Amino acid sequence: MSEAPAASFSTAPPLSGGDQRKLAAARWRWFADMPAAYLLLAPVLVLFAFSVVYPLIQTIWLSFWDIKGLYPPKFAGIGNFITLFHDATFQRAIVTTLLWTVCTTVLSVTAGWIIALLCSMAPRQTLIPRVLIFAAFGVSEAVTGYIWLGIFRPDAGGLLNSLLQGVGLGALAHPWLGDSATAIWCLIIAYSWAQTGLPLILIFAATQAVPRNVLEAAYVDGATPWDIMRRVIAPLSMQGVRVAVFINLLGSLRAFDTIYVLTGGGPVRSTETIGFFMFRESFTQFKLGYGAAATLVLLVAVLIISIPAIIQRTAAAR
Amino acid sequence: MRSQKSQNLHSRRKRVGQVAAVAAGLATVLAAPSFAADVSGTLVLLDWASGSEQDMIKALEDGFVKANPGVQFKEINLTVQGDARGAIRAALQSGEKADIFINTWPAFRKELADSGLLKDLGGLWDSAKISDNLSQSWKDLGSSGGKVYGVTYTFGDRSAMFYKTDTMKKAGIDTQPKTWDEFVGNFKKLQAANVVPVAVGAKFWSHTEWFESMYEHLNGVDMAAKLTSHQIPWTDASVKNTLKKWAELLKAGCCGDANTMLAMDWDNASDGVMKAGTYGYQIIGMWNNDRAQATDGLKQGTDYSITQFPAMGAGHDDVSSVDTKEFSEFAGATNPAAADAFLAWITTKDAANIVAQHGLASPSNKVDASLYGPVQKLAADAVANAKLQFVMGDLLPGDLVDEYRVQLQKFLQDPSDATIDAVTQDLETKAASAY
Repeated sequence: MSEAPAASFSTAPPLSGGDQRKLAAARWRWFADMPAAYLLLAPVLVLFAFSVVYPLIQTIWLSFWDIKGLYPPKFAGIGNFITLFHDATFQRAIVTTLLWTVCTTVLSVTAGWIIALLCSMAPRQTLIPRVLIFAAFGVSEAVTGYIWLGIFRPDAGGLLNSLLQGVGLGALAHPWLGDSATAIWCLIIAYSWAQTGLPLILIFAATQAVPRNVLEAAYVDGATPWDIMRRVIAPLSMQGVRVAVFINLLGSLRAFDTIYVLTGGGPVRSTETIGFFMFRESFTQFKLGYGAAATLVLLVAVLIISIPAIIQRTAAAR
Repeated sequence: MRSQKSQNLHSRRKRVGQVAAVAAGLATVLAAPSFAADVSGTLVLLDWASGSEQDMIKALEDGFVKANPGVQFKEINLTVQGDARGAIRAALQSGEKADIFINTWPAFRKELADSGLLKDLGGLWDSAKISDNLSQSWKDLGSSGGKVYGVTYTFGDRSAMFYKTDTMKKAGIDTQPKTWDEFVGNFKKLQAANVVPVAVGAKFWSHTEWFESMYEHLNGVDMAAKLTSHQIPWTDASVKNTLKKWAELLKAGCCGDANTMLAMDWDNASDGVMKAGTYGYQIIGMWNNDRAQATDGLKQGTDYSITQFPAMGAGHDDVSSVDTKEFSEFAGATNPAAADAFLAWITTKDAANIVAQHGLASPSNKVDASLYGPVQKLAADAVANAKLQFVMGDLLPGDLVDEYRVQLQKFLQDPSDATIDAVTQDLETKAASAY
């Protein structure tokens, strides 16, 4: 009457004595390996704690304080965050950041993808152009800024305006970096130019991983090189494109040097991203608490982008 | 008895008095400024100067070491672009230990003094008799809250407008304008010669110079002091009228289009005036004098010169806008003896002459004026004969100063009455929370 169906809780067959001993031994080995595993991980964990966890905790702590210059700090609770989301300059920086991040990512990844597909058709012959394009990625952001400053400067020394005048299009010469309507696009072009090398290499690597038998089968079926590029290599290189998009998005969100050198966030803060806003508030105005609050908002944005991508890639790896 | 008692008391008092006098004398000797004795050790300077200005600082260091061979300098160099205050704050907060540093912002001096980081130099000023070398007005400019914290070693005439003589010849301008009407009247001549009359490098800062010069000439130094200390609001008629006057200048074609102004930094503007000759005048600060000679290879007084901001006829044309560079001593200086000695030395003839030889003006009355070139002499004379107003932007608190710069950029984009109302209102909103 009161017989409990024990089997209903577990469908696994009962372990034999030998299996139980094996399981216990495996468990013991697992526990025995733990100290060694943590010992091996320790250097990385210590480094991570000092370089990431501690600064992060400090930033969170700072964000609750009202700090103005070298005056004594006052506890502000969540006051900095409330002020931040009512700050018209910060709201504008969010919009600029969205525009900047999407455009630079789309531009650099698209350009990198197209060049990678073209290069994949003749890998050996395109080695030098690939290396040259990738070299731009190796140039520091600040140097990129100065290169493009020489191109966009408004006076006679500006390369773009000189070229326009040289080819009889002087009417199109323009103070590109002084106009709020054009400054952000100049920055997007300059930054994307430097960033194209990474998607190119990532996607090119993906194109080289396409199995040869697939390509040969396509040729046998009568596909033209254009068909192969469009219908075979392009779809099969999507894994590289996804990685490139992810890395470029994160890079764009954190971009600073190019903006600092080319426009300094101006004119009238029209090129100020969240990263630049954070710098200005923290290190020019020295409102460290307010700047820390902006940093945390940027961190959340980075996490929103990274976590799904990391989860997806981890799942794929399993 | 009473008289003997009284005599004893008197003699005891006398002895006590003598002992006290000797003790006081001894104390005075012992507490005498340490620079009176030989100074030695390492003197640490927090230095953010660059280029030719850094060369001058090095020459000052060498001059001091020559006079005090026991001292050696150690520099903490800060590499900065634009406003150096952030870098200085960061250095101090990260634990850098220095004895002295270079300052040019009165508002920053106040911030440091309020935070207890600066040494009150009142005692040094008296004991080292700095007043013999620097007048009271320089002491006042180096003071915050009634205490002196800075010893000025150079100053700039910020009401000076630089111009290139060839450009003026090309435009047929033989004499420089003294009045506002003459100044505006010359625009047509300059424009006819394909020269934009005024270079305003508004990418970062120099557009504020024009607002400030106009404000001071229209409203005087007292009003400027009230505005920078927020005793009057930014929505005051004095501010709006100044912006309206500037709008008139813009409409007269003074400065080219707004986008070009906003794309030009100080160096671009200087190149336009001193090198290319595509612009007529520029307000920039006296460091341009050194730049013109060192970078552009021009000869002062021959290839280029300065003229003072024109009289606007509002009863305040005796004003001159100035900036200064000063040395201040940290309260926690590890070598206060050498620091005191250096601060006293930089007002002397030797130091003042080093400053003059580097193309800059010295506030010391011991300077050999014959070392000045024609432009330096014009600047020094103009400042000596004027009511001085420190650059207004440098007097504003940190939270307001960037807003001030940006709102004036906004004004340049659209100098209409509606923009003037919006800009002044935004400035006032920021100022309300900044003090």
